[in-house]
Amino acid sequence: MRSKYFASLAAILMFFTMALSGCGSDKPGSASKAERKKDELVLSIEGEPDAGFDPATGWGRYGSPLFQSTLLKRDNNLNIINDIATDYSVSDDGKIWTVIIRDDVLFSDGKPLTAEDVQFTFETAKKKGSVVDLQILDEIETKDNRKVVFTLKKPQSTFIHSLIVTGIVPKHAYGKDYSKKPIGSGPYELVQYDNGQQLIVKANPEYYGKKPFFKKLTFLFLSEDATFAAAKAGEIDVAAIPASFSKQSVPDMKLKVVKSVDNRGIMFPCIPAGSKTPSGLPAGNDVTADPAIRHAINRGVNRQALIDGVLEGHGTKAYTSADNLPWWNPETVTKDGDASGAKAMLKNAGWKDRDGDGILEKGSQKAQFSLYYPADDGIRQSLAIAVSDSIKPLGIAMEIEGASWNKIEKKMYSNAVLLGWGSHDPHEMYNLYSSKYAGIDYNNTGYYINETVDAYLEKALLSTDVNQSMEYWKKAQWDGKTGLSGRGDAPWAWLVNIDHLYLVKEGLDIGKQRIQPHTHGWPLTYNIEEWKWAE
Amino acid sequence: MNVLKNKRLRALGMTIFSILFLGGVVILGLTLDKGNIVTHLEIRNAPPTLEHLFGTDWLGRDMFTRTMMGLTLSMGVGLLGAFCSTMIAAVLGMVAATMGKVADAVVSWSTDLFLSVPHLVMLLLISFSLGGGAKGIIAGTALTHWPSLARIIRAEIMAIRSADYVQVSRRLGKPGWWIAMNHIFPHILPQLAVGFLLMFPHAILHEASVTFLGLGLSPHQPAIGIILSESMKYLSSGLWWLAFFPGLCLLFAVRAFAAIGGNLRQFIRPSSAHDAR
Repeated sequence: MRSKYFASLAAILMFFTMALSGCGSDKPGSASKAERKKDELVLSIEGEPDAGFDPATGWGRYGSPLFQSTLLKRDNNLNIINDIATDYSVSDDGKIWTVIIRDDVLFSDGKPLTAEDVQFTFETAKKKGSVVDLQILDEIETKDNRKVVFTLKKPQSTFIHSLIVTGIVPKHAYGKDYSKKPIGSGPYELVQYDNGQQLIVKANPEYYGKKPFFKKLTFLFLSEDATFAAAKAGEIDVAAIPASFSKQSVPDMKLKVVKSVDNRGIMFPCIPAGSKTPSGLPAGNDVTADPAIRHAINRGVNRQALIDGVLEGHGTKAYTSADNLPWWNPETVTKDGDASGAKAMLKNAGWKDRDGDGILEKGSQKAQFSLYYPADDGIRQSLAIAVSDSIKPLGIAMEIEGASWNKIEKKMYSNAVLLGWGSHDPHEMYNLYSSKYAGIDYNNTGYYINETVDAYLEKALLSTDVNQSMEYWKKAQWDGKTGLSGRGDAPWAWLVNIDHLYLVKEGLDIGKQRIQPHTHGWPLTYNIEEWKWAE
Repeated sequence: MNVLKNKRLRALGMTIFSILFLGGVVILGLTLDKGNIVTHLEIRNAPPTLEHLFGTDWLGRDMFTRTMMGLTLSMGVGLLGAFCSTMIAAVLGMVAATMGKVADAVVSWSTDLFLSVPHLVMLLLISFSLGGGAKGIIAGTALTHWPSLARIIRAEIMAIRSADYVQVSRRLGKPGWWIAMNHIFPHILPQLAVGFLLMFPHAILHEASVTFLGLGLSPHQPAIGIILSESMKYLSSGLWWLAFFPGLCLLFAVRAFAAIGGNLRQFIRPSSAHDAR
């Protein structure tokens, strides 16, 4: 018996060592600093794509496709500029989009990129029906080698985003293993890809744009701990790190803080309990259906304390799903961390603690509900705990539940959930708040329905003028009377935008970084052509 | 003679100390103010001080309170798991020894089967298939820890059944249930008690390791395995106290249970004190 007890102790010890060594042992590409050339970089910035490097199945959605080039792109201020397109126009009814492309673009295998490749790319992406949603597309025609005409089923201003993120694939070299062996016309071409370990790329000699300074890039796919350890050992030039590591200095590296719309917020069910989603899951929640509860949480939660405490100061207060983007309405900024204001809101709405247990009641309803968060996400867990503790003094009992995504998917229509979004495509706002997406996947899970907001969202989508559509997106958030932001109906309590933190080698200039969307990694290399060593 | 006496005294002292330690942990775990584990972001990541004996974590929660509550929760889960497992062992041991050859074969076969698969693998499978959580862990520990004890019980009952006084009792016409109640059960009771106590450390450790691996309790509950697994994330930022004190406490708690179980066995069967260990 005694020896068995030691055996199990030994087993536990082994777990610890395995967990520790598991992080350390997968350390490929450990080229030492001395033997590395000046025009080569080693990066560990997360973001290995599950589905490989095929733009037709989603590669490049959240950043530069690296291997491929796109019709249009955004500059560092998020304005839309040409990439391989030389011009584009939209018909008056908003349905026909005509794009003219350059005639001097070559794929890395030397063959020219023509309008046919563009047509092939979009047709393939539509057919695959992956995360790339091109159902709005009716047909694509080529007029000559340089002219492509997209016909939409109905006008959609956000279709331009598809032209910005979809990398063009070569029709002649697109096969089954394309996602592992991509060929494109982008700034880099593939040298080697080891699934789960590393990606090595070299500069594409055929690239038509500004030639990048760095001839070879190695992307390592390491865990957070291993990345940090490798950075300390001087083995990598750019490392993505979590906020908890940001306080420690690393020799020869400086901390680069990149702002983001990588937001976290609490989604509340906005309808009373009792309904069912089309797939039969319970929807709605009697407590959070009361706007006073949602407003009180928005008002009462101290966002700056969350940023300082959970994110070590590396974040900004979040008010909508699109803070600081061109379609964001700055009027949505409201007062927060105001407990007495929040209490007054609850009192005015008839919430009162009658039985003295610290939890408010209204009629027979207690101000009590559950908040689900994904159990494997440390930051969301910390945010959930901190918010729950901070609204307890208001008399709202928000019980937290850590669960797997599978379980959350069953609970998210009838309970509050800590979710995160953030995209360079305004269509995300439509997905999150339009009544058309109520109860569909992770989109409007709270069944938020406001006819005025719906009308603005539709107008923004149907608008053929970009500036005009921006106005409608802004009005949907807050038009002076109502809106989808915390100032309006508050279907969400947005909490924070998480800054993305990178350790960058001293002297390495990574250019002006744009506001990053909901992911690390590839957004960073969007401007890779601008990267260089200072002096 | 003197040596034996000293040893006995030592064992007694150790047992009492262990009981006091475990009792203290449970009392603290149940009585400490829940307010201590509310987030205080302004005092997060504080090293151990007199006010916070074990320091605070990254949300400013008092680690001493979390550790005590965690140990209590883990001990509760372990207790229930070990108790169920002991019951299973008792029933199966009894069935194997008294209900004929077929029953014996079936029980022995399944004992071997369960012994041949590592505990932890079975435990993971069971708690995973039950959807994790406290329910999964308790069922997992209950269903995986019985085989060795069942085997001991079976052998014990078989020995008692063939003992002379039981044979005599049977010849005198006592019915089977009377023999079971009056001759067999009193004899296996100490075995069950010791087996239960010695199973307990296993159950706690397995609870901690399954939770550590993320298949157990929800990650904001203060179970000891969760505390330890969380602390791993902060080891590289130098917050050693998050792992050190809870780990040490777990070690002491497990050691205390083993000591109680081992000493109890010696008191019940003094001859085992001379067994090779």
